[in-house]
Amino acid sequence: MTRNETRENLARTLLLLGRLALAAIFLFAAYAKLKPQAAMPWSGSSIRTSLSLFAMQVDSYQLLPPQLVSPAAHFLPPFELFLGLWLLSGVLLRYASLMTTLLLGAFFAVMVRTYMAGLEINCGCFGPGERLGPLTLLRDGSLLALALAVTIGAFMQGRKTRTESAPVTSVSAPQRAD
Amino acid sequence: MISRTNRPFIRAAASRAPWAAAVLAACAILAPTITAQTAATTPTATKTSTPAHKRVAADTAAPGAPVKTIGNRNAPITMEVFSDYQCPSCGSFYENTLRSMIKDYVSEGKVYLVHHDYPLQMHTYSGQAARWANAAAMIGQFQDVDAALFDSQAKWPVDGNIEKYVAGAISPANFKRVQGILKGCTGPPPTSRADRSLPQVDPGCPVDTYIVQDIVLGNQVPVSATPTFIIHYKGQSYPASSGIITWPILKQFFDTLLSQ
Repeated sequence: MTRNETRENLARTLLLLGRLALAAIFLFAAYAKLKPQAAMPWSGSSIRTSLSLFAMQVDSYQLLPPQLVSPAAHFLPPFELFLGLWLLSGVLLRYASLMTTLLLGAFFAVMVRTYMAGLEINCGCFGPGERLGPLTLLRDGSLLALALAVTIGAFMQGRKTRTESAPVTSVSAPQRAD
Repeated sequence: MISRTNRPFIRAAASRAPWAAAVLAACAILAPTITAQTAATTPTATKTSTPAHKRVAADTAAPGAPVKTIGNRNAPITMEVFSDYQCPSCGSFYENTLRSMIKDYVSEGKVYLVHHDYPLQMHTYSGQAARWANAAAMIGQFQDVDAALFDSQAKWPVDGNIEKYVAGAISPANFKRVQGILKGCTGPPPTSRADRSLPQVDPGCPVDTYIVQDIVLGNQVPVSATPTFIIHYKGQSYPASSGIITWPILKQFFDTLLSQ
């Protein structure tokens, strides 16, 4: 095995690990927001209660008007679940990771804005009861950087795959031009 | 042949990306651990909140104790609010959320509101305001004084003349009784401390003990910002929330609980 091949294998492994880590985090985030609170069993009613509780956390950011808070709170956890499953599947990874990066970037921007504004509220990132503070900002910043790295890795791998699988004529064309 | 992958920048980035990804993956793997630790503290907070509420309910039954509650004790939902009279967020939460809640849900017997004092050390007059509120609560005038203190929150912190706004909220006879209760309060009022140590109580001030009791309950939650509130329904406590929640969203949560 050449040095290049070893490096490529390592890159592929790290990309896989990064993707799986992001998938696990998103699945956990969705679970934490949807899971029943106050010792309730899993049911439609318990999920509605959990989403209403999450809506209060979204509202405490003082970013959205009340009429948009509830739709946002009901959309985000299922969307996180969807993203987690998409990342886990590895299908169209470039787009999944890009969407993850954009979502985490939006979360991070909102959290920084809220923290800078001096609002002392719950983060709501992984369910209720977690305060928004430097530690949560550091954690979400790391997740954003990881998502960015996975996105770059996925695009580079995608480009490499396309180059390798491209017909010889198309590769030789620039050679003739040179 | 000039290939895009042969560019020095891309090559350098490609060689460093795996290591950068490894470091970031480690951070991401640590993230759920941190989260798990934080989540692990939540049930504790929830568990401690239930005794807090029950203890207050018991205290209010004691003769002479301040009744800092609004509504029917048998209402299906109980909401405990830890508040500081001088904190702007608490003022905004009262004016924009609690006022509507008292009008719509407390008066209809759906919600029982329990006030806890959590005066912050950073606010010069919040401890003194809590004393006035507690003294008024001892003679059954809490709701009016509570509202007056929040209504005039922009005024009394200027010079600390809380008395004037309390006098305007209750009858002269009741104001005299409140003044009488606070007659011996000459020392500094108790306030919460960042290290969660217990504040000193003025032995001559009969309301200080009740303020300290609330601070102790708040430290158990733990309250790290005001307003912080805990909702109880059917014997279960929901995790503490802090910050300003608008009435339509809080109402939606109550309606979800009541429809269970």
